[in-house]
Amino acid sequence: MNATNRGTNRAILLLTGLILLAAGACTVLASAWPVAAQAWEAWAGGAVSWMQDADESSRLSDATTVSWLTIGVLAVLLVIAVGAVAVIARLGGGRSSVVICEESGEGAQGAVVIRQGFASDAITHSLASRGEILTSRVSASRVRGEDVLHVSVTPRQNTSPVDVAETVARLVDNLARLTGRETPTLVSIHSGVRARLAADQPRVN
Amino acid sequence: MTNTVMTRVVRREMHSPRTVVTVVVLGLVVIAAVYAGVEIVLHLVGAAPLLVAPGAALAWVAELPAAEPRAAVIAGAVAVAIVGLVLLWFAVTPGRRPKHALGVTGHAVIVDNGVIASAVAERVRRELDVPKGAVVVGIGHRTADVTVRPEPGQVVDRARVRSIAGEELNGYAPEPRLKVRARVLPSAGRDEAS
Repeated sequence: MNATNRGTNRAILLLTGLILLAAGACTVLASAWPVAAQAWEAWAGGAVSWMQDADESSRLSDATTVSWLTIGVLAVLLVIAVGAVAVIARLGGGRSSVVICEESGEGAQGAVVIRQGFASDAITHSLASRGEILTSRVSASRVRGEDVLHVSVTPRQNTSPVDVAETVARLVDNLARLTGRETPTLVSIHSGVRARLAADQPRVN
Repeated sequence: MTNTVMTRVVRREMHSPRTVVTVVVLGLVVIAAVYAGVEIVLHLVGAAPLLVAPGAALAWVAELPAAEPRAAVIAGAVAVAIVGLVLLWFAVTPGRRPKHALGVTGHAVIVDNGVIASAVAERVRRELDVPKGAVVVGIGHRTADVTVRPEPGQVVDRARVRSIAGEELNGYAPEPRLKVRARVLPSAGRDEAS
């Protein structure tokens, strides 16, 4: 769970996909169909000669070959590159280190902040004593202004997910009772190589 | 309030964010933009181009339909179009992860399909008293396929398999719901005998 903007991701993929698809389709069409080839050559030839004209007429001075057109093209390329890097840099994030943050109230009560490390240690240590749970990880994130606790566990194979969920839920509820505040919690139960390789839980009947 | 937040969290956990593909695409875009910029600057200062001068590249594009060999051009164009289609596919499809949300406990619970499958298989195996590995369960988005291969001489009823698996899944209250499809294979011994 992170704060990646998925709409942006999909918009970028949609845009590049459309551009590549259009470029490929046009090239195939122009290579295979003489009418399209003529149209392509007329249009592209016109565009290239327009660019040459614009390049010559927009020279900064007579002494250089630098024109406003080239500067403009370079600026567009720069904007594209910086924009792409900015989008990559903004991916992820949204993790928070605070699980509960209580403003100081009336009277003797001061501000209470429960850090993610506390909730994490409390829950993972309690889960470590349980044989059916191989690994557990706790993280906190902020979603729409609310702190959300994410407990992810990998149980042994053949363990009922309901039992695991109830075990974790009990711990989270205990934590809520201790801190006096319920934190919205996501429990995710994973399978994986670790679960597959670990031995089944010993059965004592 | 909490409810809408948790719905959002669950929805985000159940779908792929398409981050990897986006990073690859953006990385290539950055490389292409930087390369084009370098070529233009080299052209401006009068240095030799790295690969191709900007003017020559434009002329090549303009004369692409007449370029030889024709087959290579078409193959390249088809490859580009296919890459475009794949990206469109990534952009438009929901990108569901193989997980289900369970309606148990008061908290949001998300489970890998593999965990559900192994738990259902274990339950069916115990109820029917068949050996390890005799029950294979596959969990899809809306279906649970249960395949049982009983021991020689053991009779397993298909309806019973379905009801056991269905009962176990009902206890999970998965979202979306799973429909059980049961199959009983002929027992292993018969193949060797024949």
